[in-house]
Amino acid sequence: MIRTALTGILIAGLVAGCGANVAFQAPTIPTPLVEKIPMSVGLRMASDFEHFIHQEKVFGREEWSIDLGRSNAALFEDLFAHMFTGVRVLSADDDPQLLPLDALIETSIDAFEFSTPDQSNTEAFAVWIRYRLKVYDSEGKLISEWPVSAYGKSQTTTLGKSQALQRAAVLAMRDAAALMVMKFEQETQISSLLEQPATQSVPAVDPQSDPPDETDVQTTALEETTDESS
Amino acid sequence: MNQVSQLIKTLVVVLTAASSTACVTSTVQDARQGVTGISEGDSIVIMAKSYHLGNETEAKYISCIEDNLARGSKGLRVIPHAEFVDSLFPWFEPRTAPAETKNLAKLMQRPGVAKRIEEQGIRYIVWLDGDTERVAGGGSLSCAAGPGGGGCFGFAWWQNDADYNASIWDLEGLESAGTVSTDVSGTSFMPALVIPLPFIARTQSKACKSLADQLHTFIVQEETA
Repeated sequence: MIRTALTGILIAGLVAGCGANVAFQAPTIPTPLVEKIPMSVGLRMASDFEHFIHQEKVFGREEWSIDLGRSNAALFEDLFAHMFTGVRVLSADDDPQLLPLDALIETSIDAFEFSTPDQSNTEAFAVWIRYRLKVYDSEGKLISEWPVSAYGKSQTTTLGKSQALQRAAVLAMRDAAALMVMKFEQETQISSLLEQPATQSVPAVDPQSDPPDETDVQTTALEETTDESS
Repeated sequence: MNQVSQLIKTLVVVLTAASSTACVTSTVQDARQGVTGISEGDSIVIMAKSYHLGNETEAKYISCIEDNLARGSKGLRVIPHAEFVDSLFPWFEPRTAPAETKNLAKLMQRPGVAKRIEEQGIRYIVWLDGDTERVAGGGSLSCAAGPGGGGCFGFAWWQNDADYNASIWDLEGLESAGTVSTDVSGTSFMPALVIPLPFIARTQSKACKSLADQLHTFIVQEETA
């Protein structure tokens, strides 16, 4: 019995030694130096934003489990509170028809990827996150869809690979936040909704309805933002 | 017991001497484009160029430069880079930071930016790029251990190059004041005859000290020899 237990502990130890679990605290997004957009928006986040876990086995090496917790939810709640004069976070039970909103923004994650120092042959961890934002007008019509691609990179330190990966992910989230602060209006034209006749509510939205034309889909590129900041 | 104590003392002396005798060569250069100088109350901030552009400057190197510039009675007032970046979010993030001085005028017109910079008294932004890399190495060293004891035998060596460049931006004139660069090469080696004796070249530390000293001179004095 004792031998079996010892063997189990040994095997568990070996398995744990071949994997890595990383858990996150929600990042703090500083107050951005921008003027708020004078709109009241509803924010509806994908269900996995409250507890996003990414699991991946790096080929021939470790198995990673990255628990972002509610980092994504915190990011968008904080960021939009800084960007708009009014933000209402909608739960699955909320009916936007009953709320006085100028627009509805839906957020989701298209992809989460990372690379380890072994893979990149550098001293750094890198994280890529691609969010997708959908903006609906007060009649529930999709007016803009914007994939936001963000990138973070952090050198390994004596504090360990888990901390370096966390730092890279936080930098990716800040990168997304910076991009949204800079380009949200330009990419989504959300302010144009204020010019439409005032309505009292946003109807319930079917995410499958009214897909945008291919030409309406906005993309981002570092080159554009570099030029913009030039 | 006394013999063991004597042996340990001898080893400490040998290792201390060894660490200072590893081979390091360094070059520091500056190129001045404008008149510099700093007043009481003025501060500087040390930033790494964006990783979006492929830069890999180590965080500990930036901290080292900050510490060296702030140290001593003639130390400069250095604003920690993380504090500066947060206070001006999102305009100095890796994606959004200005790449050239010609972008500064536009940046200063953004809401709140000039005010935040003035509140912190920032006169200069120093942008660092570069890193420390292992460029060569060789030799063979192996260690073994058994019931009767263990030991190492062999010889290993490696060469690190620390190559860093600092661009100094003057926020008073919204122009470049010039650049300072350092290139340090160090060869470390480790012979082992039972006990390995490391002769470590502190390449990055030397690059930090030499760049920080030259930056201090560059910023404080109007002209160097």
